[in-house]
Amino acid sequence: MNSQVCLSCHEVERYLGEDESRVHALRGVSLQLEPGSVHAVVGPSGCGKSTLLYILGLLDSPDAGSVSIESQLMTNLSDNELARRRNELIGFIFQFHFLMEDFSAQENVMIPMRKLGRWTEQEMLDRAGALLEAVDLADKRRRPSRHLSGGEQQRVAIARALANDPTVILADEPTGNLDTMNSERAFELLKNLVHRGGKALLLVTHNPAIAEACDWIHEMKDGLIINSHSRARCETGTGQN
Amino acid sequence: MTPPLYIAIRFLVHRKRALLLSLAGVVFGVAIFIGTQAQTQGFAKYFIDSTLGSNGALVVRSRFRPHSTLLVPPKNSKGQAAHRSYFEGIDDASAIMRVSRQFSNVVSCSPVLHGTLSARAGFENATVDLFGIDPALHLQTTDLSHQIVEGSFEDFRNNPNSVILGSKLASTLDVTAGETVQLLPPGGEYRRLLVTAVARSGVGSIDQSRIYSHARVAQTLLHKPYTTSMIIYKLHDPQGAQELARHFETLFQHDAQSWQEREGGTLQLFMTLRVSAAITVSLIILLAGFGIFNVLTMTVLSKVKEIAILRSMGYRRIDISAIFLWQGAMIAVAGSIIGCIFGALVTWGISHIPIHIRGLLYANHFLVTWDWRHYMWATLLAVVAVTLASYVPARRAAQLPPVETLRGSSV
Repeated sequence: MNSQVCLSCHEVERYLGEDESRVHALRGVSLQLEPGSVHAVVGPSGCGKSTLLYILGLLDSPDAGSVSIESQLMTNLSDNELARRRNELIGFIFQFHFLMEDFSAQENVMIPMRKLGRWTEQEMLDRAGALLEAVDLADKRRRPSRHLSGGEQQRVAIARALANDPTVILADEPTGNLDTMNSERAFELLKNLVHRGGKALLLVTHNPAIAEACDWIHEMKDGLIINSHSRARCETGTGQN
Repeated sequence: MTPPLYIAIRFLVHRKRALLLSLAGVVFGVAIFIGTQAQTQGFAKYFIDSTLGSNGALVVRSRFRPHSTLLVPPKNSKGQAAHRSYFEGIDDASAIMRVSRQFSNVVSCSPVLHGTLSARAGFENATVDLFGIDPALHLQTTDLSHQIVEGSFEDFRNNPNSVILGSKLASTLDVTAGETVQLLPPGGEYRRLLVTAVARSGVGSIDQSRIYSHARVAQTLLHKPYTTSMIIYKLHDPQGAQELARHFETLFQHDAQSWQEREGGTLQLFMTLRVSAAITVSLIILLAGFGIFNVLTMTVLSKVKEIAILRSMGYRRIDISAIFLWQGAMIAVAGSIIGCIFGALVTWGISHIPIHIRGLLYANHFLVTWDWRHYMWATLLAVVAVTLASYVPARRAAQLPPVETLRGSSV
């Protein structure tokens, strides 16, 4: 396995549903994410994009195959251990941002930090301030999240995903709920933060413009990655599946 | 502060209406529990204090007759107590009192010559219980001096031909301190005695019939060959009266009766009332628990997305449970503290409600007792009810699969 790979999965299979409604959602998916790279997963609805994302994010377990983060195998870890790895290594961004609406922007960013327990209260405040400044929301840090616009909320969600300095950021339609201007702004912001921080970003998207702007595009169909190509090298079939 | 506690506080304070509803249930439950227990136990405690103050915690009476030595014991013989018979009176009261004073639980004891006779004053007659006493010893053993509502105990002590009347008896005979009353023993002649004081014990049966005289006067009136028919005891720990009574029976071979045995019927009535009130109020607290269960369940349902996102951020199932258990705990603690304060106010308020009781007890207002155990039990009950009510929603929150929620919200 490549030592530069920060997240990989190998021959991941996943079934969803029971009995007659049982679906083979993932049929042996393999993938590798290097630091500083941005990957897009595209494909029609129901092809298994989100299922793959949740398995890579340790929120769901594969029925077969393996997931490794920083060369450490995540399969067979306990629920508590998986939660700890999620907290330390993974940042999630969702289409509907899922901010805690009773909390301010700053407090939302601090929620993962509180669980991590690595920093003092003041350090957490400083760090949250810096992250919100990076997403251009420094002046709205104390505003309740429900009083922010859709674009601002998604930027808070981006800052929150970066709160614990994760290795991997997983985003499920991060711009799907935004207008074009906000969508482009959020994506550029995310891409810059990932490139600067040497992290890996995997995002699920239906937006061709965003997908084209990623370093890698993985096309999925019927639970399989049928094509992977690099934007820079214009390669196809790089052996990632 | 742990992350679950921090999040629990935020969840709570942002649902003010639900918080107030839950809090109100606990506060009222705790306060009513304290109020009813204080009130029901107040009457019981007043009765116990009054009866102990008049009749002592323990009474030693008639001497046992030796058992007949039958070769064949009678059929259906279940024990000695059922066939026990007595000699009337106490032969050597001084010796018994001297020995019993050696017991650490005994504060003091007083010999009494007890008998029944008739009393007359003017045109009024009544049957009375005469207690012939040694004033000095009786003063040490009972609360008689504090029970005087008219006249003076000193006058009684200094005048051998005087009596103290129970307050209701004085009312029946229509006499006051300074007047005279005539006592008629069975087969004897009336003897006129000065009423130097009127006493109110607070127990209706005592105040209705009790009359105190000096022991020698009582002996003359009752024509008894002995000077003592019973010895009454004041104890440091009245709760130990039953054990001491058994010990005294064995030691002195006299019948000994504890106050618990003597007042068993009345105490049982008070206990029944107290348990009944406790059950009723426990149901109120249980209802408050159901209210909290509903509120927390609704909170869980409304926070499904937040729970999913917390799980995605690395919060464990136990952390999610803790968020909801903390909410319950905070409601229980805050509700108990406010409930205890409110309960104390309720108790104080109840104690000022005027009431005219002249039967079993004498009272002009509701009687309450201030006991820290009422507060402890109310708090314990509230904490248990709220913990149980929080447990199910907390468990449910922890079991929520985050992927299902996140998937349901994705396109």
